[in-house]
Amino acid sequence: MRRLPDVRRWMGVGRSTHPDSYPAALAATHRAVIGDEPKLLLAFAAITHDPATVLAGLRAGAPGVPVIGCSTHGEIGPQGPTDGSVTVAAIGGPGFQASTAVATGVTDRQRDAGAEVAACAAAVADLPHRALVLLTDGLVREQEEILRGCYGTVGASVPLVGGAAADGWRMDGVFLLGEGQVHRDAVVAATIASEAPISVSVRHGWRAVGKPMIVTNSADGRVYTLDDRPALDLYLSRLSAPREAYTDPAAFTAFALPRPLGVQRRSGIEARNLSTEVDLAGRSIGGGTALSHGCLTWAMTGDTESILAATDTACQQALAGLGGREPVGMLTFSCAALRAVLGGDGVRRESERLAKWADGVPFAGFHTYGEIARVHGIDGFHNQSLVVMALS
Amino acid sequence: MTEPASLHIQQLVELLAVVSSFPDEASAVEGAVERSAQALEAEVAAVVFGDRVAASIGFPAGQVPEPDLVAVAHRRRDWLAVPGVGRCPATTAAWGGSHPGHLVLARWGDEGFSIEEQNLVRGMARLLELTLTMLRTLQAEHEMRERSDRHAAVNKRLVTELREHQRLLEHLFEIQRAISRREPLQQILDTITGAAHDLLRDDIVGLWLLDDGDPDRAWLRSVVGLDAAQARQHPPVPLTEAGAAGAAMLVDRPVAYTGEAHASPVIGQFAGGPVYASLAAPVHIGGTVKGALQIASRRPRRVFNDSDEQTLQAFAGHVSLALTDAATVTRMHLAFHDALTGLASRGLFLERLGEQLVRAQRSSAPVALLFLDLDRFKEVNDSLGHSVGDQVLMVTADRVRHALRADDLAARFGGDEFAVMLPGVGGPADALAVAERIIALMGDPMLVARQRLRVNASIGIALSVPGHTDTADLVRRADIAMYQAKRNGRGRAELFAPGMDETFSEAAGTIAS
Repeated sequence: MRRLPDVRRWMGVGRSTHPDSYPAALAATHRAVIGDEPKLLLAFAAITHDPATVLAGLRAGAPGVPVIGCSTHGEIGPQGPTDGSVTVAAIGGPGFQASTAVATGVTDRQRDAGAEVAACAAAVADLPHRALVLLTDGLVREQEEILRGCYGTVGASVPLVGGAAADGWRMDGVFLLGEGQVHRDAVVAATIASEAPISVSVRHGWRAVGKPMIVTNSADGRVYTLDDRPALDLYLSRLSAPREAYTDPAAFTAFALPRPLGVQRRSGIEARNLSTEVDLAGRSIGGGTALSHGCLTWAMTGDTESILAATDTACQQALAGLGGREPVGMLTFSCAALRAVLGGDGVRRESERLAKWADGVPFAGFHTYGEIARVHGIDGFHNQSLVVMALS
Repeated sequence: MTEPASLHIQQLVELLAVVSSFPDEASAVEGAVERSAQALEAEVAAVVFGDRVAASIGFPAGQVPEPDLVAVAHRRRDWLAVPGVGRCPATTAAWGGSHPGHLVLARWGDEGFSIEEQNLVRGMARLLELTLTMLRTLQAEHEMRERSDRHAAVNKRLVTELREHQRLLEHLFEIQRAISRREPLQQILDTITGAAHDLLRDDIVGLWLLDDGDPDRAWLRSVVGLDAAQARQHPPVPLTEAGAAGAAMLVDRPVAYTGEAHASPVIGQFAGGPVYASLAAPVHIGGTVKGALQIASRRPRRVFNDSDEQTLQAFAGHVSLALTDAATVTRMHLAFHDALTGLASRGLFLERLGEQLVRAQRSSAPVALLFLDLDRFKEVNDSLGHSVGDQVLMVTADRVRHALRADDLAARFGGDEFAVMLPGVGGPADALAVAERIIALMGDPMLVARQRLRVNASIGIALSVPGHTDTADLVRRADIAMYQAKRNGRGRAELFAPGMDETFSEAAGTIAS
């Protein structure tokens, strides 16, 4: 193992594609811990791994070091994109401090769960720069409420960053790791405090097309009507969808995944994924994120080039936010739906862009079911976006 | 995309949808705090009653600087220190009524809040006032119901009051639902005047709006208790003849008149008898007075009290919201459509054409573009004037529309040029058939300005080519074909053929449309 000389802050990333969970986690952890005083491990593992065994491997690789982690729809790291690996990011050194928290049974009490995990922000040493990293269960609805709960506790004092755990499109259960245990329907969080700046940026590569539609009936994360017509039909006709998308749920999801709806906000249009919860009988669409009754929405399109341009901007802004300091590493959370647009080659190119901006420093992350970045304002849950956190 | 003003109205409608869904005052205040912070992308939002912070967001739990928030609410300072963010510019808006309060917002950055944003904050405060008034009424109703259960037998008046409050609530919720569903404007306005009539029990309710062409005059847009058709057809009258409504528009606050002599002659004329008392409250679009909501009574002893005035103002506030929202929707429609003909604008048309060309690559059915230019339109314009020319363009738009299928799209490109997109045609013959249908319809004389005019059109047709998605090229080819149609004698359609490119440059210059 390469060990760093005596430095104040370091980040390392290790990965193993070993098919067995224990050796994979152990090897990835050994490769990630490149300095003294490791403070936190962030583990991103394919859904094919056994979570309890991954946890055992992480514990054996770095005894006593707090861990948060989750399952993915593909892991991101300097060696390129993978499906099936255990990828571990470790941070450490006397200039970093970390504390972790877990809230379980999140469904139906998202806001309270957010407030509970945010309390870990108070448990960490009072260093000048902080961020609250959140990993949520991507199959839980109303993720915004989790963030509202966090915001109610920490206010604007701490940026929120992270992603929703994924299960490789199986849609039947993710896993989360925190406080030495495996969880579902949970939020795991880590507050990272640092002597030096931490910077977060979020970007998407979509653009609105055509005229806006008005959300004329919505509730519980579902859109029932647009312009007083069944939402499913108007959305599909606005994008001239193939006939099978009107009748086959799988065809609908495949069509809608790369075509989010846009919501106008003061600083631009946000993308909302409504591809995953189609109701063919009720002709409504949904994806777990809310579109308010009365709001204007646009159909959106994008392509590999526009998404990669957003990757560049997100990296550039995150690094620029360090105020001239050199980065020690980056955490990246990229939407799983983008893989459908990018394809295998595009995902490789995305990874190459990340590596170019990282310029030799380690980076790690995963493809998510939702991206978290609250930097300004009170909102922070995103769809179809890339979130980059740079640590200096 | 949308201009800031329409984004702001949008945010008001979203706020309305949110706060009107809360069951009690405390949750409505918290919901409004979050929604207003979200709309303005502010880190901090708070509602302050007097010297008490009722709800806030943006500060770590237990560290809310209440004195600072109160100082901003009372305009003693215009910034807040926010942990993790630093010094943030702050803004505030107050509301009056029986329980006055303040909405406070603070946001990261040096810029502060623009005038438009400050207007939005004021609108949000006003909306909150309406909602809180409503919820307080509900609370009072609950309390009264408890009391009335105990004393129903001895207090009939209380029961009546209770029912009225209940009905006010029901009416206001119904109106809010209608606005947020964007039901037709006339229907919403009639709902409001109907509700005011039902609740205030006066003989007549009238909604006056200022005349677009002459803001010193007003007309009746919606009435109850009068013959609606007659009243709405009555020409606009000077504000001095609109009674209490005219005065309310002039002074921008509620006005009550008593005595037959003060009544509006228009109301008197349609009421079929003397009107003794009237009360009016102004309505606004985007903060500017645009009309007034008036109730009028034929009972000689009718006296209006504070409760009547508050109820009327609540309804007037909802009229303002409905009018402002409708104006925004109209503006948005205009941005994408030609104002004269209602056809798609050039920009919208080209965007749709681009999408169809990309889509055509995946199917075997090409997209056809028809480029239509009126023959000798300039002569019509020069000899009969622009207003006749405009009518000719409107008739042309109607006829073109009539010749198309639901999926086809027509646009006015400017002047007397029109374009039509036919997606998924079987081949050139299909496109030619549509063009000939249009020419046949155009062949009928137009009755314009009491004259029978014959204005025909020349149409150029071009079809998309596999592997090419360039809209400009397709438009260019249809344009060349149109010139060929002019050259071949006008009033006809021509399909683009490759040879036309070469002859175009020398020929085009010699043809006058």
